[in-house]
Amino acid sequence: MEEIAISTPLSAEEIQRQHIRRRRLAAIRRGIGQLFSHLLILAMGMFFLIPFFWMVITSLKSDQDVFRTPPTWVPHDSVSVVIDGKEYPLYHVQIDGQTMELALVSVAEGRGDFIDPADPSKTYPQVRMKFATQILRVGLRWRNYIDAMSRATRPGLGVNFWTYFRNSLVIAFFTIAGTLLSNSPVAYAFARIRFPGREALFIFVLATMMLPYQVTMIPLYLFFNESLHWGDSFLPLIVPAFFANAYDVFLLRQFFRTIPEEMADAARVDGASEFDIFTRIVLPLSVPVLAAVTVFTFLWAWNDFQGPLLYLTSPQNFTMSLGLQDFKSQRAVAWNLLMAASVVFTIPIIIAFFFAQKTFIQGIKLTGLKE
Amino acid sequence: MNIVSKAGGAFRLKRPAWNKRTRLNFWIGMLFIAPWTIGFLAFTVYPMGASLVYSFSEYHMRAPLQWIGLANYANLFQDKLFYTALVNTTYMVVVGVPLTLLLSFMCAIVLNIKVPGQSIYRVIYYLPSIVPTIASTMLWLWILNPNSGLMNMFLGAFGIEGPNWLKDPLWAKPSLILLSLWGMGGTIIIYLSGLQDVPVSLIEAAELDGANWWQRLLNITVPMVSPITLFNLITGVIGMFQYFAQAYVFGNSTAGAIGSPLNSTLFYSVYLYQTGFQFLKMGYASAMAWILFFVILGCTILLLKVSNRFTYYSG
Repeated sequence: MEEIAISTPLSAEEIQRQHIRRRRLAAIRRGIGQLFSHLLILAMGMFFLIPFFWMVITSLKSDQDVFRTPPTWVPHDSVSVVIDGKEYPLYHVQIDGQTMELALVSVAEGRGDFIDPADPSKTYPQVRMKFATQILRVGLRWRNYIDAMSRATRPGLGVNFWTYFRNSLVIAFFTIAGTLLSNSPVAYAFARIRFPGREALFIFVLATMMLPYQVTMIPLYLFFNESLHWGDSFLPLIVPAFFANAYDVFLLRQFFRTIPEEMADAARVDGASEFDIFTRIVLPLSVPVLAAVTVFTFLWAWNDFQGPLLYLTSPQNFTMSLGLQDFKSQRAVAWNLLMAASVVFTIPIIIAFFFAQKTFIQGIKLTGLKE
Repeated sequence: MNIVSKAGGAFRLKRPAWNKRTRLNFWIGMLFIAPWTIGFLAFTVYPMGASLVYSFSEYHMRAPLQWIGLANYANLFQDKLFYTALVNTTYMVVVGVPLTLLLSFMCAIVLNIKVPGQSIYRVIYYLPSIVPTIASTMLWLWILNPNSGLMNMFLGAFGIEGPNWLKDPLWAKPSLILLSLWGMGGTIIIYLSGLQDVPVSLIEAAELDGANWWQRLLNITVPMVSPITLFNLITGVIGMFQYFAQAYVFGNSTAGAIGSPLNSTLFYSVYLYQTGFQFLKMGYASAMAWILFFVILGCTILLLKVSNRFTYYSG
């Protein structure tokens, strides 16, 4: 039987088998190609991913772990014991060639007083600190977040990061409210009300996009601070949002124009006013674009640094951006707390991103212009 | 650009007398756009006029304005720091922007490969760009810390002794470019959407003609996305001329003074801020702002003119 199979050119079975083999080879080749693609994407992605992780990892490290060389990829926390209701950090201490696990009670001038946690009556006073190394164990130091956020960053003023967080939220909220309220009627007029001079005026609106912020910065600063006495308040940051801006007018107008005009015309025939058409027909149909404006305005207001830097002078009024920069200048090496505050600063944006991922991506393509 | 030509209707010079309906529409229209009109007058027209007047005056907040004609402009062209700021900014525009475009184009190509889990990869590349500016600046200050930062540890693993980054005048600007590269996710997404618009039929036709991957990339993909490159280039250049927050924080954190070390991060907007709000030379700073305006305008027009030869618009 076998000999016949070899001598005949190719049996149907053999053809099929070869076909399967070829398909399998192609699949393997495709698999290798895909594996290679995954590796390439991941390798390049490391540049984006590692710093991000490093921010989170650092935020969970203890003070000693932050400066260890080489750096550890897993956060380590210090270990402490409770003796008579008080918490003391644990150290490895070398005394007479022996290494002991002792609790540090107090430290002064490079010498520390230690006690044995197992037997608190055993004391080891005046041990030079160079013989002691703090015990670190793998562990996430969530306390950094409490320390960073709740502890006063400006002790005399009782200001902490929650103050900054709240200020940022208040400014973002009113900026969003102002942006939505002021831009949509303007965009509606440019999209749907047939008034003479509309196109020429719209070019004017777009032209204002060309003007760099720096040109109007100084007179506006003097206007808000000297004429209106709004210095060191949120007003200079919030009030301009209530007076429309070219980017959002453009974005909204483009969307409003996609709403069939027949609907508006039918309503007009029925005697509806422009205001009725705007609030009852156009706005309910524009939820996606209004969401996009909301998300982008939030992103912008939350991120803004130069505006708060110009107008907010006392720490009680600082935003997260200003507060972070202020904290860095106060405590230059508290990297773990600084990173914890940075993570908290970033979280609202990450949440916004995952809730409105489509809006984000769509918005970038639509407005790329907006930073 | 595109936007302007879309919106630009013909000016009607001779318009027929307005009937009642048109007149009503005009007033309703004016009412609806009132928020913009008021804001435009208060926050654009007035400050522009005031800024222009300041730029011809000596003006220190409290003291009254003093007209000095073109003296501010004349002094600027003798100001060594002004040139330092211009050179620093030009470095960022000439090195930083093209590098960002090139690398984000590469990233977009890689992200366009059809693999399972593609959307997760896209999120990874994009996420850093939405980290708040000051948070990402703090993070990179930490990563680029010469002694215990991640970057020099990483270089050390390859036997390379990393530079002093932010504290070295030579490396301060590359440090800032590195920071801006980390946040180029937005540019990547714009390129990615451009890559998805490249007609598959063109690529397939070239494949049949025996063009290899590199030839297809160079002769089809690059020309097809050239309008997007132009868009990214112009917005990148405009943005880089106004570069401020990151440089402010870098300078302040490394040596406690903006522009440090040795004025290597004294960019145009940083110097403008310093002149106006630290030295309180409001008139001088206003003159700087107007020069910036014309530099940006000039660069934009130049890029649009030059790009006519390199940009391909289908359809």
